[in-house]
Amino acid sequence: MMAWKLLWRSWRGGQLALIFWSLVMAVVVVTAVALLADRVEKALVKESSHLLAADAQVRTSRAIPDDWLQRADDGGLKTVQMALFASMVYSGDNNHLAAVKAVQSGYPLRGLLTLAERPFVTTPEFFESVNHGPPAGEVWVDSRLLPILKMELGESLDVGEVTLRVSKVIVEEPDRGGSFSLFGARVLMNWQDLAASGVVQPGSRIDYRLLLAGEDSDLANYLAWLEPQLNSHDRLLSPDEAQAGIADTLVQGRRFLILAGSLGVVLAGIALALASRHYAAGQTAAVALLKSWGVSARRVRLLYWQQTFWLALVGSLLGLAIGWLVHESLVFLVRELLPVNLPQAGWRPWLVGLATGMLCLVGFALPALWHLPSLSPLAVLRRDVPVHPVSAMKRLVIGLLVIVLMLLWYSQSVALTLAILAGLAVTALAVMGPGWLLLNLARRLGNRAGSVWRLALANLWRRRGQTLVLLTGFAAAMAILMTLVMVRTTLMEQWRWQLAEDAPNHFLVNVAPHELDGVEHLLADNQLSSVGWYAMVRGRITLIDGQPPSDELVEQNNALRRELNLSWTDQLPEGNRVEEGLWWEGLDNFAERHGENVAPVSIEEDLASEIGVTLGSRLTFSVGGLTFDGVITSIRSLNWDTMTPNFYVLFPDGYLEKYPRIFMTSLYLPPEQKPFVNTLLSQYPTVLVIELDMVIERIRSMVTQVTHGLELMTLLILGCGVLVMLAAVKLSMAERLQESAILRTLGSTAQRILMVQSVEFGAQGALAGLLAAVGAELALFLLQRRMFEAPFGLHVELWLWGPLIGALLIGVLGVLYTRRAVNRPPLQVLGNLDI
Amino acid sequence: MIEANQLTKEVTTSEGVLRILDDINLTVADGEALAIVGPSGSGKSTLLGILAGLDTPSAGVVRVNGEDITAMTEEGRAAMRARYVGFVFQSFHLLPSLTALENVSLPLELRGDANATETARGYLDRVGLTARFSHYPRQLSGGEQQRVALARAFASRPKILFADEPTGNLDTVTGKTINDLLFQLNREEGTTLVLVTHEATLASRCHRRVTLRGGLLVGDEAALPGTPG
Repeated sequence: MMAWKLLWRSWRGGQLALIFWSLVMAVVVVTAVALLADRVEKALVKESSHLLAADAQVRTSRAIPDDWLQRADDGGLKTVQMALFASMVYSGDNNHLAAVKAVQSGYPLRGLLTLAERPFVTTPEFFESVNHGPPAGEVWVDSRLLPILKMELGESLDVGEVTLRVSKVIVEEPDRGGSFSLFGARVLMNWQDLAASGVVQPGSRIDYRLLLAGEDSDLANYLAWLEPQLNSHDRLLSPDEAQAGIADTLVQGRRFLILAGSLGVVLAGIALALASRHYAAGQTAAVALLKSWGVSARRVRLLYWQQTFWLALVGSLLGLAIGWLVHESLVFLVRELLPVNLPQAGWRPWLVGLATGMLCLVGFALPALWHLPSLSPLAVLRRDVPVHPVSAMKRLVIGLLVIVLMLLWYSQSVALTLAILAGLAVTALAVMGPGWLLLNLARRLGNRAGSVWRLALANLWRRRGQTLVLLTGFAAAMAILMTLVMVRTTLMEQWRWQLAEDAPNHFLVNVAPHELDGVEHLLADNQLSSVGWYAMVRGRITLIDGQPPSDELVEQNNALRRELNLSWTDQLPEGNRVEEGLWWEGLDNFAERHGENVAPVSIEEDLASEIGVTLGSRLTFSVGGLTFDGVITSIRSLNWDTMTPNFYVLFPDGYLEKYPRIFMTSLYLPPEQKPFVNTLLSQYPTVLVIELDMVIERIRSMVTQVTHGLELMTLLILGCGVLVMLAAVKLSMAERLQESAILRTLGSTAQRILMVQSVEFGAQGALAGLLAAVGAELALFLLQRRMFEAPFGLHVELWLWGPLIGALLIGVLGVLYTRRAVNRPPLQVLGNLDI
Repeated sequence: MIEANQLTKEVTTSEGVLRILDDINLTVADGEALAIVGPSGSGKSTLLGILAGLDTPSAGVVRVNGEDITAMTEEGRAAMRARYVGFVFQSFHLLPSLTALENVSLPLELRGDANATETARGYLDRVGLTARFSHYPRQLSGGEQQRVALARAFASRPKILFADEPTGNLDTVTGKTINDLLFQLNREEGTTLVLVTHEATLASRCHRRVTLRGGLLVGDEAALPGTPG
């Protein structure tokens, strides 16, 4: 009760505002980040589950056993069965080898099917999104099937022995993905029509899929039961595996959110520590007074603990509320840009927010107040009674400890925690040492300058201890901001580069040599250009080092079961990198060492490790019944994100030319030229077109979603930075008030004092900016190497903008905040120094 | 009653040990008003601090109401101060975030006085600040602030009031008003008063005046008849 009364009075007196808002800010940042991360993460998982049209998918070549379905049903999971197969479909005299997918009516379990009533439409107003498959008796097909079969919507299509009506065209199919397996046009039919079609015969190649959706725990239980029963031909797909690129996006997005949140807390923590120090200094007299009245040290401690506890609790609750508002308003903004419904957050973000408030209190506020109860009551009589606050070193250690704890908790990564801490440590070191030297230098230069400069720089030097602490605060804040901005832009550039606006969005496959010129002309006539033609030969690896691969290896590796696209080139293709061995030109006397008929082979690194081959391994290839040998001379890594054709196995020119070959390429087709697919297919019906634009659009939408999430983080960090500045200035306020009063008493004009202050703050800001650039550069070095695996380069812009922005920001803020020091009548200040 | 025997206070400075008080013997009777005078640095405030239990001597004993406060722990002395002692300071020591009324009622609230606010009002009335209850210290003149401090000191009904240069920060006219008020309240409440001052007029209003010089008690004289008042 007494504590509440005291707390309320202190609050009313404005002494707690900075402490309170720093704490609130820490909680706001963390809560907003945690809520957002939680929801975005859930959304991303959901998005990636859209790529499966389910939460998990089992792929098998046998019919789904009944007990799998029964068990899933018992376990509270929703299931949908699908069968995928290639089948000739007919309309009148025309036919096409279509990619047929028969689905139960619940398909898709996650995500939506986008349909249209007209082929090749690209404007969303013609789209219709549904969460079910076609009714029995109907099929939905890819637009391109219509020109291939010279038919219209509403007409009939024969699939096997059943005749179905083509009622709609498919614009987007959630689980189509970027797979290259989709060679034929899609025909989506109802599961009930499957039996009547007569397609399912003993020995027919059908890909069965079981789609599963439900609560995480139910799903986990089910998969734990199912997994032991899967054989080597069955495959279980979870969202994480659905697409590696999206999993990467998810990981990077989450890391960034954690990074932003942690840095926000560190800043708010610094502000809180500074504000608490100021508050404690202001409480010295009050505590001495209480003690002179006979209030015991124990009671004083209790009173202050209770006050800080209530303050932290109220602040944390408010922080949770504001954090929710902040994240909600961001989500609203994002919603405008991207109509994606975010799932609701769980309880963890709230716990994280609340715990942050309490930890901040323990780590940053309490150490500054710790000494108050032990103050001597004699201070009421004598100003020179020594005060023994917890040493700066101890406070630093406690603060760091709490920061480390929080970082570890948020990131659950020792490496990430260490990287952030290293950035902080480096900044502190980069400030204390060079800061001292620079201050000294500035003072010496100031001695030769005009009186305003001399006074301002002498002030900085005289208060060098404090100035260095403030510099560290400013510089750390700015370094963190700079680091953040740079990381964000670096990250974005990386993403943007990966998914460039004009990245190829269509693959043309199966172009016969005699069609090449024709297709090329058609492209040119439509002002389109491909990334170049890649010739390929389809062949199989039959022997490894003269031995047939073991059954086990064959079972595990699809690459050993099917025909691979073998290609040849003299130039190392773009996006390829030789990781081991040498590219062709580096090979000496290859023919002499291995014989005329043996080809050098360059193999992709993942395939190499999967089938257990290394440099020098000998592979035997079978192409159209003919065999030849190759020796691995290089192992390459590929960048799959470039959306250009990539090959697992490459040969030099001259080895594969004698085999029958086909060509493939990729190209960028602008949305308005989408009907070109139609034109192409009507003239070259055997050419296969893979439409990646849909896949790209989906990935881009997710990247945009994350990007906007990150914008708000930066704003919050900025708010924390300003708090640090205000707290730092406030800490030096009493002294500034007195100085200004003395100067004015000695006849200085208010304008002149303002000038001195602008120079003092400006110089401090410029120094902070300069030092922050050093710190940020070093932190970036670490972060880029450890987190983003990006190459490092100097960031010249930091060194230019850092000092300039620092001088302006701190100069303006400082002068605004200390203006009252100049404006207060000197006698009032001198006669009544605040206790 | 306050009794000090052979009080010595030494502090260690960079130039060696400095003796601030040297073998002080002093007794203050209940209800007595004692002025401690002497030049700056003579040890007046140090003596006041030790007598009030805010500080401890290097040697010697202080008894308040027969209890040896020099042998007590800090907590014990705190309890003693809570029972017997009130203060008035040169720089008022009002808490800036509290109104006049709250400044006066705070010590009462801290000791759990249910009528803290009422009592505080009464004392503020007595020092003539009825119209200033909800004013903050920065809105009050120096004289008014010291009146609030007087109200606060007396509101706790201390047996002994220690005053450290109570008019040191005030002009002569205001100082006189404060002095009048101090002695008036002191008389009405029957408080023992120990005050440190530079001012001869203030000292002369006390029953007794002791003079310190260089840490030594060099004079102990009764004031002129007809005082205090």
